[in-house]
This record gives sequence, structure tokens and C-alpha cells, in this order.
Amino acid sequence: MWPLTRRPDPLVVLGSTSLMAWSALGFYGGSLTLPALCSTQPPGTMPLPVSFDLALLLNSPAKLAAGCALMIAATMSPLMIAPLRHVQERSFAKRRTRAMLLFSIGYMAVWMAAGMALQAVALAARWAEPAPLTCLTTAAVIALLWQVSPAKQWCLNRCHRRPHLAAFGAAADLDAFGYGLANGAACVGACWALMLLPLLLAQDHLPAMAAVTLFILAERLENPAPLAWRWRGTERILRIVAARARIHLARRSNVREVSL
Amino acid sequence: MSHTRKNVWQLGGDWADPILWYARGVKAMKARELNEGTGWRFYGAIHGIDRDLWTQYGYLSETDTPPSNADIRTFWNQCQHGSWYFLPWHRGYLIAFESIIRDAVVGLGGPDDWALPYWNYFKPGQDGLPPAFASADWPDGTGDNPLFVEQRYGPNNDGDIFVPMNAVNQNALGEPDFEGVATGGSPGFGGVSTGFAHGGRPHGRIEQQPHDQIHGLVGGELSPVQPGLMSDPDTAGLDPIFWLHHANIDRLWEVWRQNPATHVDPTKPKWTDGPASIGQRAFVMPIPGGKTFAYTPGEMSDLSKLDYTYDDVSPPGIGPSPLEARMERFGVGVAMAAEAVGRPAMAEPKNVELLGANNASIRLTGAQARTSVVLDTTVQNKLSANLRAAVTEATPAPPDRVFLNLENVRGVSDATIFDVYINVPDGANPANYPRNLAGNVSLFGVRKASKVDDTHAGDGLTFVLEISDLIDRLHLSGTLAAGQLHVQLVPRHPVSDEAQISIGRISVFRQGD
Repeated sequence: MWPLTRRPDPLVVLGSTSLMAWSALGFYGGSLTLPALCSTQPPGTMPLPVSFDLALLLNSPAKLAAGCALMIAATMSPLMIAPLRHVQERSFAKRRTRAMLLFSIGYMAVWMAAGMALQAVALAARWAEPAPLTCLTTAAVIALLWQVSPAKQWCLNRCHRRPHLAAFGAAADLDAFGYGLANGAACVGACWALMLLPLLLAQDHLPAMAAVTLFILAERLENPAPLAWRWRGTERILRIVAARARIHLARRSNVREVSL
Repeated sequence: MSHTRKNVWQLGGDWADPILWYARGVKAMKARELNEGTGWRFYGAIHGIDRDLWTQYGYLSETDTPPSNADIRTFWNQCQHGSWYFLPWHRGYLIAFESIIRDAVVGLGGPDDWALPYWNYFKPGQDGLPPAFASADWPDGTGDNPLFVEQRYGPNNDGDIFVPMNAVNQNALGEPDFEGVATGGSPGFGGVSTGFAHGGRPHGRIEQQPHDQIHGLVGGELSPVQPGLMSDPDTAGLDPIFWLHHANIDRLWEVWRQNPATHVDPTKPKWTDGPASIGQRAFVMPIPGGKTFAYTPGEMSDLSKLDYTYDDVSPPGIGPSPLEARMERFGVGVAMAAEAVGRPAMAEPKNVELLGANNASIRLTGAQARTSVVLDTTVQNKLSANLRAAVTEATPAPPDRVFLNLENVRGVSDATIFDVYINVPDGANPANYPRNLAGNVSLFGVRKASKVDDTHAGDGLTFVLEISDLIDRLHLSGTLAAGQLHVQLVPRHPVSDEAQISIGRISVFRQGD
């Protein structure tokens, strides 16, 4: 029998969701993502509204939304594990699935809106600056500035919040949904600049998105912190790797000593 | 050479040699600069530092030369709270501190077997602050006794320092597991699995009671912005009594380990190897000779492998374990209960589920706060069936344990202490209903835990009180079926609005199969 506290386990559900979404993105060869949209016309050769109209003509809103949803499911699902566990643990057993679904809807709704907005920004950027390298470099500088800013830490700290949740009735539903919205908003605030980068690539956007996902996951391993200008995101993961290497080397050394 | 830590009240006098040498050692540490690793203030900052509070109390000034940024990052703000590292981190902290005092003692011509005394406030007649700490003078009448601090206000905030016995207990020693769960069930004797946690939630049982209580009772406060040193984790290490209090907590860990022998520390690598093994800060202390002492929890586990011991690790009283007592309450014979408790099948169940909750967050101001926890009918029936089975089954099973959770407790007054009662009749004086007392809560660490943009994300603290005995009685009297628990929070002193104490949710969880 599954333990009550892990039924269904968000790690399994969301890990599977992420893997399936990545598989779908790989299967469709990225045709559901922005680069396909961008390639509908030479950048900068027509007014922006016309570019948008043309893009929507060649890529139905449903297709765009599906691509956006897939991308969010692939990249953001792992980030939902910790807050979903909180929802699960603090809800009645009979309400857990419902509460987790409501949280997920709130979280995904925010990300869907943000994802569409990011695609529009990416399209506008490509329209305004036809040279892909210039466009990408500008976005990278913005992402770097955001990465080291206190504002980014402000968002990250709120990603780590675990609020109290009402247990009964509509209040419980509202709290779960509201927590999803709040957590999603904080997550968008923390990740928007990084997520924009792969959208500006003319090719290899899926590997780039995978790299960004790994970076965001590593960043989320770090604890909340005071607001400050500083580099963040890699310290914890590098220390984990170093610690594992030290332990591995120590074990090998012990084995060698024993065999000698 | 093994060193023996002894009861401060049984050293042979108020200023017996070990205390006198401790005072001289503290004086030597206090004479050192802020940036000296073996200095008093540096060691206080290892536990935690709040620059505003330190400046307010004169422990920090603009003329101080701070340590290097590297030293600050390596050593300061290191204490582990709300974590299964609470006990081993503080053990290493004590060992390193003791080595510095001993080095100073030996340097002054004192004995090289000097060991840190402990304050066992539970012993009859020993609940008062040891006199050497209460006097501003040395025994010869000169007035710069380094063991005395002004900012120690006591349980009534009047400078009279003692530990009210109705505010503390050693019930944690009956907790069977070191590691607990953060999901609403027992937080365990030693705390819940965390990474490096400079203030986590919830606190383990020994941390919550008596550790937190003693901090708040001894420290007290003049106002929420004028806490006693002991009341706040960011100033606690500056009070010399801190070290004797923590020596007692460290001693209680060994008492728990030995009584009974089935009490064991975690063996998971994440605990034994410590947070450095998972890419987080290492536990490391400066020690004499310009050296550092880095340690893991696993290295702190076995007292016989360390350089000290305690003169008394006997259990506080011989009686049935909490589980045996509960089974006997349900009519299971003493022999059968003892036999059943010893069976492997009686290993602590870890399944936890929400049983009930109140409907809105509450503010604690004035003399009390009340709320009602509504129980979910389905889970309540499950609990009742489990408790009935404890009486009727031929082979008795362990009854479910039940825990009251005070979730997301926030505020700015770490010295706030309150009692939690259940189902005291309206208008009645809770003090007349000691059997309805669910437990005591001390908000040690709440100010820091309430800051959003700090290491805690502002979620506040969560306290977990076992109410299995109360639930048993309600079940046996047939009143559990009412489907509600009336919870009353009674602070030791009226709480001001300025303290901003709020409780996000009060909930009840069952822990069983």
C-alpha cells in the first residue's frame, strides 16, 4: 500500500510529466516553439503588427498554446515538486488530488500567460533587431543583470514560501489555487530572463532550453537569502559535485588501502 | 585525558573552582577583538549575529575591525535550528568553545582537566540561575564579573532568573525516534531531515522542550525590541549561561541514547556526513593555536569517542514508555503492553494525515487567544476505530499518535511563551485544568524566521505538540465524537500588539498505519 503522505507522489508525477513533455518536444522537432514562428518571415521586413498577424496565420493560436504548454510542462514541472508536496501534506487525504490540481492550474495559468508574452517579446525583439547575434547578446546581458540583482533574489525567496492553507471547502480550493498563482508569479519573476534566451535562438533552441532548465533547477536548490547584488545559481550545485567527488575519491582510496 | 562535565549546582559552592576558572576564561575571551576567531564576540556570532541588536547592546561599534568576508562566510551564522543537525552541531560548538576556555584556563595556571559545567534546572532546588551568574561582582566584591549580563530578564521580565517547573518538561526523552517528519507528525527527538538549516521548521522535540523554553524563560524581554540575550538566537551565544544550558541539552541527548538502548541516532549518510556532503556549508569552528575544528554529525554521535563525559546520564524517572502508558490506559495489561511495545511490528509508523484544522489565522494579543479546530469526520472515524482496536484486538497494535500543529507562527518577539490548552470550559481558568495542557511553546527564533528576505523565506516557525493522551481521554469518555477541539493559547504575560504574533493555522494530524 502507498503511504498516505506520498500518494500520488509529486516527484513521480511531475518527473514523468516533464519527461513526456520533453519527448513530445523532441518528437515534433521543435516545430511547436517560437523559432518556427519566427521563421515565417524575414525579420524586420514588415511592420510588427503584420508580423504578428502572419505568425498567427501560419501558426494557429491552439498550436502556439500547445507549444507553450509543452515547453512549460517540460521545464517547470520539476519546480512544482516542493510546493506541491506542501499542498499535499497540509490537505486532507481525500482532498489532496483536488488541491494539487488547483495549485497546478494556478501555477500553469500564470506561466501560460507569461510564456505567450515571452514569445511575443521574442518575436518583437527579432523584428526590431534582425541580427540574431545582437538580439541574443542584448538578451543575455539583460538576463545576466537580472541574475545578479536583488530583485531576482526577491522572487526566488518567494518561490520558497510555504504558506498556511485552509483545510475545508471553498476556502481550501481558493488557497490552493491562490498559492499556485503566487508561486507561479514568483517563478516567472525568477525565470523570465533566462527563459527568453532560448526563444531568441534561430536553432538548437531545445538543447538551449534544456540547459536553461538545468540551470534553473540548480538555482532552486539554493536556500532563500538576503537581497543583494551577487552571482547566484551555481554555487550549491558545484559544491554538491565537489562533495560527491571528495566522497567518491575517499572511498576509492579506502578500498585501495584495504586491498593493499 | 577525558574531561567530566559536572552539575554546576553540585560543584561545592557558588564560586567553586570550575566556575571561577570558567569566569576567568570568559574574561580572557571577552578581551579579544571581534575579528579574533577565539574571541567571545566571534563565538557569539558563530551562533548568530544581528548587527542592530548587537550595536544596541554595545557588543558592536564602528571602531571594531570586522573579520574577513571569508571568515564571516565560513564561521558566522552557523547555528542549526529546526533541523536534525541541531544536536550534533551544538555538540561540536560546545567542544570547540570548551577547548578555548580550557586553553585560557591553562594559560592562567589553572587545571588542564577543566570541563564545562552544565545546568540541570530539572533537579529539585536547582531551578534558579547559578549564583555566580547572578552577581555583578566577583567573589572578592570587584564589579566586573564576566558571567553577569544585564540583558537577562527571566520568566517574569523582572530580572529574577529561574525556571518555572510548570513551563518545562523532559517528555522528549520518551520519543522513540531521533528523526521525525515535517509533515505534521512527530518531529522526532532530534528533529527532521534538513540540509544546512540556520533556522528551520519544525523544531525537534528536545529542541522545542526544554531547549527553546529555557532560552525564552531565562532571557525574557523588556519589550519586543529589547529581548534578553538568551531570548534571541542572534544574541544567545553572548550570554555565559548559554553554554551551561546547552551542556545540559547535550547531556540530555546522551540520556536519551542510553535509556533505553534502542534509542539510536540516524545512520543515513545525509545525517552522518552532514550538510557539507550535500554541497552546503560545513560545520567548522576556530580553536586555539590558529587551527580550525571541522566535524560531521556522525563524528559527534558517540560520546565514548569524544574527549569528555558527563557525571550523570541517568534517566529522570523510571516508568513505562509513553506507548506502554497509552496501551495500559486502553486496558492492555502491563506485561502484554511491554511485550507488544518490544515487537518489531511496533516500530513507529510514519504515515501522517490531516485530521482537522481551524478556519482562519489568528493573532495572539493580550491575555489569550481561542480558536476551534474542526475534525474531518472520515479521518476522525478512522482514528476512533484505531483507538477502539487498541482495546479490543487480541494482539494489540500501537494506537495512532495525534499531534497539534501551530503552523506559520510569525512575530518579532522571540521571548513570547505561551501554554496551549484544549477543551477548557468557557470562562474557566486554564491553570485549573493541567490535564488539558497540550504543551508549552516558546518563540525562540521567530523574529528571524518571519523575515521574508532572509534565509527562512518568512514562513515563520511551526510547532508540533503531541496530544495523544488528551485524545485518548476524549475517546474513552466518548467526547471525541463532538468533532471539534477548542484550543486556547495562554501567554505567560499579556502579548502586546507590537509583538505581532500570529498563527497561520492550527491543525491536528494523526500518525499511524
